[in-house]
Amino acid sequence: MFFRMIRGTFARQWKKMLMIALTVALGASIATAMLNVMLDVGDKINEELKTYGSNITVIPQSEAVMNKLYDVENDEIKAEYIQEEKLGELMTIFWANNITDFAPLTDTTVTLNGSDVRLIGSWFDHHLEFVKKGTTYQRDTGIINLRSWWDITDGKWMDEQKLDGDKYAMIGAELAKEKNLSAGNKITVNGEKGAEELTIVGVYESGDDEDQCIYTTLPVVQRLTDSSGLFKKAEVSAITSPDDELAVKAAKNPSLLSGDEYDLWYCTAYVSSICFQIQEAIPEASAAAVRQIADSEGKILEKTELLMSLITLMSLIGATLGISNLVTSGVMERSAELALLKAVGAANSQIPRLVLTEIMITSVIGAAAGYFIGYAFAQIIGHTVFSSSIEMSGIVALIVAVLIIAVTLVGCIPAIRMLLRLRPSEVLHGAH
Amino acid sequence: MSLLELKDVSKVYGELHALDKANLTVEKGEWIAIMGPSGSGKSTMMNIIGCMDRPTSGQVIFDGRDISKESRKKLTEFHRDKIGLVFQQFHLINYLNAVENVMVAQYYHSMPDEKEALEALERVGLKDRARHLPSQLSGGEQQRVCIARALINSPQLILADEPTGNLDEANENIVLDIFKQLHKEGTSLVVVTHDPEVGEVAQRIVRLEHGKIVSDKKNENFTE
Repeated sequence: MFFRMIRGTFARQWKKMLMIALTVALGASIATAMLNVMLDVGDKINEELKTYGSNITVIPQSEAVMNKLYDVENDEIKAEYIQEEKLGELMTIFWANNITDFAPLTDTTVTLNGSDVRLIGSWFDHHLEFVKKGTTYQRDTGIINLRSWWDITDGKWMDEQKLDGDKYAMIGAELAKEKNLSAGNKITVNGEKGAEELTIVGVYESGDDEDQCIYTTLPVVQRLTDSSGLFKKAEVSAITSPDDELAVKAAKNPSLLSGDEYDLWYCTAYVSSICFQIQEAIPEASAAAVRQIADSEGKILEKTELLMSLITLMSLIGATLGISNLVTSGVMERSAELALLKAVGAANSQIPRLVLTEIMITSVIGAAAGYFIGYAFAQIIGHTVFSSSIEMSGIVALIVAVLIIAVTLVGCIPAIRMLLRLRPSEVLHGAH
Repeated sequence: MSLLELKDVSKVYGELHALDKANLTVEKGEWIAIMGPSGSGKSTMMNIIGCMDRPTSGQVIFDGRDISKESRKKLTEFHRDKIGLVFQQFHLINYLNAVENVMVAQYYHSMPDEKEALEALERVGLKDRARHLPSQLSGGEQQRVCIARALINSPQLILADEPTGNLDEANENIVLDIFKQLHKEGTSLVVVTHDPEVGEVAQRIVRLEHGKIVSDKKNENFTE
């Protein structure tokens, strides 16, 4: 009989039930989309920020100490070097898979057609092989990925693996314009230790002062600075977890952490723990986070999560109000019927139970539809904003289910209060 | 022992005395008509007798038990077990058919039993209309479904509020014939009406005016 009455309500009030289901579906879809994006947004923002360059720099230990002591830029101190072959160690650390790219850089000042120019030697798409304890590690890495925002206005990216020899260069757009150079031209650069004739492979526009520089292969600069097998600095791009209190504490001094804290910190991809592991792998180097990027990640993540939480909250409040209006008006329309049930013997609790069951069934249908719509919303957001799909989390389905039950129950409160106050005598034949 | 006793029962809404120190006794198997003009307190008295309302003062003793101070929950239970209601507007659930409407009262009382519900419909001559929706039944037929629903839990008292108010003469006679049959079978009936013809067939006529019982007489014209 209970389900016959519920079936009857659905048959008779299907428009109202459809509206309730749509309201729930809207709330559930937004909650599903936002919560999934929120859970996935950390990695997405990390990936997004990786396209803006490295977030860790590796410099010689001694230089780092001088920088700290005198608070000066590293160019003002006589540069020390790190052995190029040590860079392979980056592929062996605990968080090696989070290191997406890295490249050594050594710069020097050379003269080009009578004027001083900054010449930077690096890897472009260097094939690196590193053997440690019988294991061979391999990777193609270089500034092609670390400078992914460069716009190649003439020629192409330098492909180290395909070019014959190392006497090639890419020139900044401003310098190329100033010196009237283009791809295919040959230039001669004069350094302290000699001169090199280089072929320009491409002209890049970086949007910063590197537009006045020349990038060439690392061996060219090593020859010009008499630093064969060495480099001054390395840039590392790593996928990191946003800093929290533990990361901040560890960044000050990891030795202050308790055993458990240390394990948690070490096994979390904080930028500080990755830097720490780089220093463990290359003891003569000092690795430091590029604070601007690391901080931006945390701030962007925090603000994005706050925004999404607010959107979720607003949508759920909207759904609650919608449900409340629809259920209350539905109960008002059915007051004679519901009062009759009381008049034929229904207890005060039985009527709300009947109405709640009807609304809960409707909500479950709406929530299920909303979850799948939310999945589609999440993918649209993922592809529109981050150009990749959003991974759906099982926990979100659970959270959305709990939220929708809460929203439905809260939305039904005014109607239930009305039902409890409903007096069959008043509804059925007036008070007196 | 009387089935029902009202002792100095009053119901006050603000300044309005809807019922003013009413005293009434209903014996088991008795058929009483409560009559009076609109606003005389008939429905208030019916609500109190039917356990849908509590008096402001006075005692309501039903089958030896004072129910005037009972909680709403107890009153609901009491009403469910002892009283069957018949309404002027029929108040059937329009998406349930006739037999299901009868079974609703069973559901909230104990267990729905379709066989019993069909028997109740048979008592009011509607077994062949059991699968019809209220919209497919005439007013008289709807009122008979309402009576079957009131009878289904074997109540000690049938309380009818203007049961023929919305019926034509033919259907009015059918309903009154059913009441006569129920009375013969020993069912107690309290019928609230302002229709003299309905009052005239009752065993006793109680008249209300401005919330007071102004007369309480045996109907000399009553015939079994």
